[in-house]
Amino acid sequence: MRLAHLWDQSKCIGCGACIAACNAANYASSTKENRTWGWIRSNIKRITFDLNAKPYLLLVQCQHCDNAPCVAVCPTGASYKDKDGLVKINPSLCIGCKYCMTACPYGARWLDEDTGLPAKCMGEECLSRISGGLEPMCVTVCPAGARAFGDIDDPKSEISQKLRKGRVVKLLEYKGTQPKYFVVVGP
Amino acid sequence: MSFQEVWSPFLIGSFLWFAGIAGMGSVAYALLRLYRVEEKLRELSLVLFASIVLALVFVVADLSRPLNMPLAILGSLASGVFIAKLAVSWMTLGISLLSILLVLTLALALRHTAVPALSKFTDNKYFLALLALVGLLVTLYSGFLISSAPGVPFWNTALIPVLWLISASICAIAVLKILVHEEKLSRILTTSSLALDAAELIAIAALLNVALYSGSIAAKISARALLAGELAAPFWAGVVVLGVLAPLVLGFMLLKKEDRRLALAAAVLALIGALVLRILVIQAGVFEVVGL
Ligand code: SF4
Ligand code: SF4
Repeated sequence: MRLAHLWDQSKCIGCGACIAACNAANYASSTKENRTWGWIRSNIKRITFDLNAKPYLLLVQCQHCDNAPCVAVCPTGASYKDKDGLVKINPSLCIGCKYCMTACPYGARWLDEDTGLPAKCMGEECLSRISGGLEPMCVTVCPAGARAFGDIDDPKSEISQKLRKGRVVKLLEYKGTQPKYFVVVGP
Repeated sequence: MSFQEVWSPFLIGSFLWFAGIAGMGSVAYALLRLYRVEEKLRELSLVLFASIVLALVFVVADLSRPLNMPLAILGSLASGVFIAKLAVSWMTLGISLLSILLVLTLALALRHTAVPALSKFTDNKYFLALLALVGLLVTLYSGFLISSAPGVPFWNTALIPVLWLISASICAIAVLKILVHEEKLSRILTTSSLALDAAELIAIAALLNVALYSGSIAAKISARALLAGELAAPFWAGVVVLGVLAPLVLGFMLLKKEDRRLALAAAVLALIGALVLRILVIQAGVFEVVGL
């Protein structure tokens, strides 16, 4: 089983509902700043490229890399890859060295100053939702149907079907991280 | 663009500096003892112990969950994960190496102060070989630690451990220069630091060159910030001029005639230059730019 996220850039309307929903579900709608990203406390980061002729938007979050550098560098095993294919953090083993943060090529982690933990997708609430058979919050709230989540090893899952249909890009694939966050750029 | 703020440049820069001094200083201690140079070994042993303690203080000060550290490491050891991690994480290896060097340098400091009877162990050639090996590994680790962080391309090059090794050797020699008065040894130290200063200059140039031409936008931003941007003033003044060129010029003057005050000035400048270098390299880190 390898759970993964898909974000369809060609369908995304840039409303930010997923970002706000992540903040509401996983960080109790906290208005405190996420100082690592200069952003709100949410595990999804918005990057806007102002290329004059061709501006575009990218939503970036943890890619749950199959070959995750954050897992490799973590000294205690606090960052680990679970059986479901997701990269998770065990808070009881984390010493807060932040090595995982400097190792992540996607800058997908931010420092939660309340807990000292290197936060990232998925937050606790989303993890408990998926263990109860629900979708992560960002997928549930997206009004444009631009998101999907599921098992890419199961050919019948919604995400696998979407992966077969669309033109898909993986971010910074040349880094050898084998990311599992799929960006659909068109039909 | 903004510089990384994950690791504090001052805390982690100082940690890397002290780790380098303790590491290559331990190699120097072993060499001096093997060549039967007795002068100032007591002072050197105290510098080594203090450096490793300070290295640990600075690295722990940057942890965001320091209170969780003892239990987390014990838990990781108990499950066997820590041992497995030795093969893949420089941080795990580093925690182990720093702990070993702490014990070894404590034994040295005690041998020269409160417990002279320890000399039976610490003057043994196997102890000295272990000390030199662990010292060298700690120095290399302090470089590989940051060069294996793929999130920050400027650090993500094997040139960092090479530069750190050269620079830490310069620091160890500088500490010896400050301590030792004997003329023959001072001369050897002056010649070695001259060669190492020249090598350091080449290593710094190589690091910046690779960053500028490696194709990574983030690495290019880091190199430009050091060469001509926000960090250019401390880089040129603190690292290049005061930290490398001035000790180089003073070194040539000392070759003609040893002079205690000039030697001290060269040593202090070299030490400060090495510290500023580490702080700036950490400060200049920029995360990879993610795009389609
Ligand atoms: S995106 Fe970053 S945090 Fe997520 S698994 Fe990959 S390396 Fe780890
Ligand atoms: S901050 Fe925590 S999860 Fe990250 S590498 Fe350090 S111990 Fe592991």
